Amino acid sequence: MVKEIERAGIPVVHICTIVPISLTVGANRIVPAVAIPHPLGNPTLSKDDEKKLRRGIVEKALKALQTEVHGQTVFDK
Amino acid sequence: MRLELGKVFIKDMQFSDQTMVKDGTLYINKQELLNAISGDDRIQHIELDIAKPGEATRIMPVKDVIEPRVKVEGPGGIFPGVLNKADVVGSGKTNVLKGAAVVTTGKIVGFQEGIIDMSGIGAEYTPFSKTCNLVITCTPIDKLQQHEHEQAIRFIGLKAANYLGEAARNVNPDETKVYETLPFAEGIKQYPDLPKVAYVYMLQTQGLLHDTYVYGVDAKKIIPTIIYPTEVMDGAILSGNCVSACDKNPTYNHCNNPVIEDLYERHGKDYNFVGVIITNENITLMEKERSSNWTAKLAEFLSLDAVIISEEGFGNPDTDLMMNCKKISAKGIKTVLITDEYAGRDGASQSLADADKAADAVVTAGNANEVIELPAMKKIIGYTEPADTIAGGFAGSLRPDGSIVAELQVITGATSELGFNKLSAAQL
Repeated sequence: MVKEIERAGIPVVHICTIVPISLTVGANRIVPAVAIPHPLGNPTLSKDDEKKLRRGIVEKALKALQTEVHGQTVFDK
Repeated sequence: MRLELGKVFIKDMQFSDQTMVKDGTLYINKQELLNAISGDDRIQHIELDIAKPGEATRIMPVKDVIEPRVKVEGPGGIFPGVLNKADVVGSGKTNVLKGAAVVTTGKIVGFQEGIIDMSGIGAEYTPFSKTCNLVITCTPIDKLQQHEHEQAIRFIGLKAANYLGEAARNVNPDETKVYETLPFAEGIKQYPDLPKVAYVYMLQTQGLLHDTYVYGVDAKKIIPTIIYPTEVMDGAILSGNCVSACDKNPTYNHCNNPVIEDLYERHGKDYNFVGVIITNENITLMEKERSSNWTAKLAEFLSLDAVIISEEGFGNPDTDLMMNCKKISAKGIKTVLITDEYAGRDGASQSLADADKAADAVVTAGNANEVIELPAMKKIIGYTEPADTIAGGFAGSLRPDGSIVAELQVITGATSELGFNKLSAAQL
């Protein structure tokens, strides 16, 4: 899906737990996620802390979307 | 560590008033077996059946298959750390009822459970159509949580295998095979000119009904470690998995791991088989990195020349497989991988979710997406309704006449990544 949408000229950020798979598939902007059963959250955190975590991932993804890349880039900082 | 495995060949199975083996038949006292496996108040009813090769019987949804074994000499008991004390097993003598199996079924626990047909085309695809099966159908109490349900059935299956295994205790085996692995330093000296080979044994441990246990320890919590191959034959590793039926390793397959069998067969001839590294398949990238770092470190520590790596399941574990391959190869150690494929119904899609250049020797156990048709069966043990919802099934899989059309994925053990079946592929 990532590749097809990009082929249509729309940049994509792939938020993905297992980054190597995303790299193999060919995503260009990759934001690491939390875990396979809960990529965008963490049930062990308190609600407040989890919201912080979730917002952090979304903001990182939005920033990645606005960042020019030359080749596959993992936004793991 | 040296184990004598005594095989008592079982060609028939019957209910009787006494549990015993006589002339290749396993007689089972139904009430005594029920007493041995009952008592869990999470299960309201247990039904026992026998399914034999060639019968028009379908068992589904199958959770686990277990081989009855008993420790005759040496420390510990079968399934250490679970049914017995956590003594180190794998030495002395073990008797096995070869040709008999315990199969657990009942209301579906997770969505990834399987089908065993005892005849017809479906029987060709599963190794458990060739065994005489004691089938246990468990009905849970209402509103039992899935993980509790899974645990209850797992223990009932293990207890049944343990009970039946006792019937082999005082029987003279029809055939005895000896397996021995020396302590590492002695083993290296034994065949100094042969390549040192180990087996990297990946265990499905993603949690949420995808779990494997080592001496009773939930393997998602281990860091990779070393185990003698004969420990595995005594039930040190067992399945708590509700993963796609075709490529999960039932407890039966762990005890009969063909990679271990074959490495022993060629030990001292082509290889020096030094031992087994067990590792897991976890759900975060850091865990995957950590475990693959450890397998590579252990492979280097053992000064190996080559490893065989087997995967369990598919999808994100493909990454664990590739990480193990890449990192072990980077140490200058040759790798051969065993996996299966999800290449689409036409076989034209990418087979694995991940890939790496280092994976240049790969054995496949078949394409799990292949669509098959299973004829209706006269007798059903369990329930056919889950056919539409188990992994590999789809809306309309169960037809009104009782036949099933579904992906090969639904058949228990069809694409075993331990090679415990007949499917593979050759490059043309």
